[in-house]
Amino acid sequence: MAEDLLVDPATLREQVRDKYRDVAVAPHAEHHFHTGRPLAARLDYDQTVVDAFPDRAVESFAGVGNPFSLRRLAPGERVVDVGSGAGFDSFIAAGHVGVTGEVVGIDMTPEMLTKSRQTAEALGFAQVSFREGLAEAIPVEDGWADAVISNGVINLCADKQAVFAEIRRVLRPGGVLQFADIANGRPVPPEALSDIDLWTG
Amino acid sequence: MLEDSGFGPVEIGPAVDTFGGAKGEDKARAFDVYGYAFLARKPS
Repeated sequence: MAEDLLVDPATLREQVRDKYRDVAVAPHAEHHFHTGRPLAARLDYDQTVVDAFPDRAVESFAGVGNPFSLRRLAPGERVVDVGSGAGFDSFIAAGHVGVTGEVVGIDMTPEMLTKSRQTAEALGFAQVSFREGLAEAIPVEDGWADAVISNGVINLCADKQAVFAEIRRVLRPGGVLQFADIANGRPVPPEALSDIDLWTG
Repeated sequence: MLEDSGFGPVEIGPAVDTFGGAKGEDKARAFDVYGYAFLARKPS
């Protein structure tokens, strides 16, 4: 474990994977965060678009904000979704970029990848694909993306500097990082910062 | 941290009460945790 990291990245990753496995397979169970259509409404996603999606595209959504609220993606853009989960934001992105664009979702949880791939096929989104990978090692070539999106993922990574460096690598010069995440307004005590249970809720 | 990682100026959206009414609300309130949208560009 690197000296400047507060928790062990591998341990945190395993706990995050366990938690989001539950969200993939049991989206309607009680989690410590909101999920699905009620969450999308709370975060001010376009209701018409969300309503048109089948339940399986929305039910495991567990974001913390709306990465499209400050900028709508442009038609034809190439997009990477870091921590794509069951694919909800990737499907929203697919609608923005259209058939001339491309969306690549990256996730580390097998159950999420299975679900997102099946949903993309069911929705007929040929411009969307999903790859297994980590935010700290994005399986996308240098400078490929016009935009990177992410939602509630970077706060769950132990080495945020490594994640931002990796996002910068896959963006083209002038490319945009638009993401949603949580931030605390009050200082977290040092002993809590290293409490891995607090990181994963 | 974003600017330290080589991104340009960061635009931040308004706070969203992400955890309000959820099981994790108490913990979120304890540290004043909200959701935000962020936007930054990689310099050309």
